Amino acid sequence: MSSRHPIPSLVAAAFLTIAGSLTPALADETCNSPYMVNLIKGQEDYVHVWTLGVENLGDGSDKLVTLDANPHSKTYGHVINQVSVGGRGEAHHMGFTDDRKYLWAGNLDDSKIFVFDVGTDPAKPKLVRTITDLTAKTGFVGPHTFYAMPGRLMIGSLSNSRDRGGVTGLAVYNNKGGFVAKYDIPTTTLQGVKGDGYGYDLAINPAKNVMLTSSFAGAQNYMRNLGEVVKDAEAMKHFGNTMVVWNLKTMQPTQVLSVPGAPLEIRWGLAPGQDWAITATALTSKLWLIKQAGGQWQAKEVGTIGDPAKIPLPVDISIAADGKGLWINTFMDGTTHYFDISDPEHPHETFQQHTGAQVNMVSQSWDGKRIYITSSLLSQWDKTGADNEQFLRAYNWDGHALKPAFAVDFTKEKLGRPHHMKFSAKAAQQVALASAEVPRN
Amino acid sequence: MRAWLCAAGGFLWSAAALCAVDPGAGTAPRTEFLAPAAGTYHLERIQPTADGVLLDVSARTRHLTEFTHGKITLLTFFYTNCEDPLGCPFAYVTLSQLRARVLAQPSLTSAVRFVNVSLDPLHDTPPVIQSYAKHFGADPHFEWSFLTSASIANLLPVLDDFGQDVSLQTDEHGHATKLLHHMLKVFLIDREGTVREIYSLAYLQPDVMLNDIQTLAMERSATAQR
Repeated sequence: MSSRHPIPSLVAAAFLTIAGSLTPALADETCNSPYMVNLIKGQEDYVHVWTLGVENLGDGSDKLVTLDANPHSKTYGHVINQVSVGGRGEAHHMGFTDDRKYLWAGNLDDSKIFVFDVGTDPAKPKLVRTITDLTAKTGFVGPHTFYAMPGRLMIGSLSNSRDRGGVTGLAVYNNKGGFVAKYDIPTTTLQGVKGDGYGYDLAINPAKNVMLTSSFAGAQNYMRNLGEVVKDAEAMKHFGNTMVVWNLKTMQPTQVLSVPGAPLEIRWGLAPGQDWAITATALTSKLWLIKQAGGQWQAKEVGTIGDPAKIPLPVDISIAADGKGLWINTFMDGTTHYFDISDPEHPHETFQQHTGAQVNMVSQSWDGKRIYITSSLLSQWDKTGADNEQFLRAYNWDGHALKPAFAVDFTKEKLGRPHHMKFSAKAAQQVALASAEVPRN
Repeated sequence: MRAWLCAAGGFLWSAAALCAVDPGAGTAPRTEFLAPAAGTYHLERIQPTADGVLLDVSARTRHLTEFTHGKITLLTFFYTNCEDPLGCPFAYVTLSQLRARVLAQPSLTSAVRFVNVSLDPLHDTPPVIQSYAKHFGADPHFEWSFLTSASIANLLPVLDDFGQDVSLQTDEHGHATKLLHHMLKVFLIDREGTVREIYSLAYLQPDVMLNDIQTLAMERSATAQR
């Protein structure tokens, strides 16, 4: 500190006293961007569900469905709002802006991005903008992950318009919907490993100035019937086998890590000092730990999920706020697993339960007392017939058992295929600045 | 003599009780990396900035564009009643440290400015921010401007343009208090008025910010050479 512009000691003291309790958590509801504000550490009021439309079911369109999740509410466990976007484009994932006022939701097929205002009244989201220029601006197809950064979103894509394969990249849009930049996932060799150019999730550790990306498949695979893909040996070669380490500040890839079998969701340990990330590989059913060693980042296989020979297909994962537990859904056998990852080098399963004929996304509350599960993976990959259950199921978790809280049958309610979930809460003890008319005491 | 005016716990601290102390490591979010060298990376053009009608410390009407063009600008929003140590005070600590670094480089001193715009025009009148600025921001060698608004109606379009959220905190009876909820952001703006970086707590670090400023200065030099 320069003595030319002194900082008062009492201010410094205040920092030292309070900083420990106010140091921002690395994420909210355990799996979102560390740049987001307004963590919901107590009871969430609403669960927003980005839902794929189904032909001849209701209006047949993709829609944002809002459920009341507050057990003290009269409409607890019920659908209280739905916003149809008109048409079907393979609704998939969502992400908040850094101020948590807007929820961006993407389509994997037509690459549209819908922006919902969830800040004005989270019980009644409103569609305020539709972004249609992703492919024109970038050549990318299938916006997947929406990751808040200050004033903008980093969007991880899955495919490209040239051959609808897996080579893709990242796009940046400002919060107003304006295109800012694009970055290709590397296909070159970095630190001895050749990149495949594939993308899926992204996750940032600000303290380390590191961003990780993972890899899945292009539209030619994810928009094709799963049974056909599995039988097509050539198609099965076109899944991602890498993760990429990026210098976040410069947006330059610095390392490619070999992680075979389509590494999907990435979760950083959230507690201070937990500078590691964990992911699950869909095709090989493994847990991988990404950790720094000797100045380099390394990927290490640390666990097995179910019986890989049966291809249980681990999909979504949700890490506990203390970084000591991990929920994992395996789609094919409809099982929800809980792994103790207190020692992330040696995860071990402590609980599992069959939660549906097919299960995909899993989201937990910050306090870890509640989890929510949805059923749909992709319109062309979901099961058929009686196994095509489409639901959101909420559970209470006491550390030993999942106790059903409520469930919504999305087929019976004529809504569609429920996919990604995000929480929101009523604004507590805040009013708009515009309402101020006189100086306040 | 300088003073840091900050209503914390209901007290207004005066300069007489204060002395120079670095707040030290551990007061800010961890930054365990070396700031990338200036000029080795590109800063995205995140968004343009628009004009706004504001007031300076002398209650003169000023256009925001006077403060967002022509120099490399760091602009942040503040209010004098802010008591969150990781809010406005943290920004001032960081900006003070950054100012010292900028002043140490003569080529940058006249090329950089800081701008603080009040979020609370009803309380932060020109005389109030004049007092605030006089004690904190005054330095004959460096441009550090403090601005407010004639009304909330004048302020809201500026906030909307920058994407700066703010709301009034209410008490248990639903009455507005003097406290505001806002997300700390510092905007790095190039000479043409385009936002090139937005620092939240994670990157509000003088070394990173200085290298970003130098990167913009080098970008300008490279353009001039072409």
